[in-house]
Amino acid sequence: MGLDFVGRGPEETDGNIITTTIDKVVNWGRKNSLWPMPFGTACCAIEMMATLASKFDLSRFGSEAIRFSPRQSDLLIVSGRISIKMMPVLKRIYDQMPDPKWVISMGACASCGGVFDTYTLIQGVDQFIPVDVYIPGCPPRPEDLIDAVLQVQQKIASGASPKGVEVVYE
Amino acid sequence: MSEENQVEEQPKPLVLGKLEANYADALLAQDESRGTVVVVIRKERAYAVLEYLKTDPELAYTFLVDVTAVDNSQMESELMQFDYARFMVVYQLYSYQGQCRLRVKVPMPENDLSIASVTALWQGANWLERETYDMFGITFDGHPDLRRILMPDDFEGHPLRKDYPLRGRGERERFNFDKQNV
Repeated sequence: MGLDFVGRGPEETDGNIITTTIDKVVNWGRKNSLWPMPFGTACCAIEMMATLASKFDLSRFGSEAIRFSPRQSDLLIVSGRISIKMMPVLKRIYDQMPDPKWVISMGACASCGGVFDTYTLIQGVDQFIPVDVYIPGCPPRPEDLIDAVLQVQQKIASGASPKGVEVVYE
Repeated sequence: MSEENQVEEQPKPLVLGKLEANYADALLAQDESRGTVVVVIRKERAYAVLEYLKTDPELAYTFLVDVTAVDNSQMESELMQFDYARFMVVYQLYSYQGQCRLRVKVPMPENDLSIASVTALWQGANWLERETYDMFGITFDGHPDLRRILMPDDFEGHPLRKDYPLRGRGERERFNFDKQNV
């Protein structure tokens, strides 16, 4: 949660003034309070639940406030197989999330279809929604999901915009 | 598997004797598979036979376990037996009274893929017949609500047919999100 972006004020203020930029403070707040929207459709969701539970405890990283409404969340965790019937639902949930929003594609199935190379399974959700972080594994360990959340946090802290957002510089 | 052993111990299962006596014209073949009696029934008489199997007080096959179908189009040995009927609709029945199972198979020629619905006999046949329709394209006459149950409503084709490509026809890559009614 480092505050390395904070600068000291003039010497005569005895360090009672700090300097920084608005963007950095906002990003610092965002990265430490990600609200995930779980989209669990298969066994990866079980690992996601384990990640949230006391043993692995995702709340240590500020992301324990799981929202079951996309309108209240800014991190979509796609964990599991997405069938062709489910893809429009996932797309709609992604569209309902307010900007800025990030997406984790958890596990082999969400990332590339996994072993299910069949007519009914989407071969990677990144064909239809932008994905920021992919997690390999079938299913991934809870540590892998925590690592992905940390990578999203790094991405936010670095000021990079989410994959799905086109930034217009004025 | 006690119920299966019971069937094997009997010299001739009760159901076969009764079917031979009452529905000899409908009975195409009979077999035994791992302790389960298998009968093959002519399509036109399928509903009458199934109704008899359910309502007869001695047989009382009151539980319809499953309705599904088999595409035998690449099984020459199976095709030859029943006049090259491509599909075989399969009913799995169970009798609590007799504690025995029965498999009823009905050959379906490809030029007429409709069969009488058994939803009037077993309410549980509703979704099972919808699934069979969805996956194989077999229509069930008299079904109250015959629409797809697993695939999206606008899906084309019947994916468990043997001529349907495993990786599909591109439907997993193409989406019209505006058209989808989610």
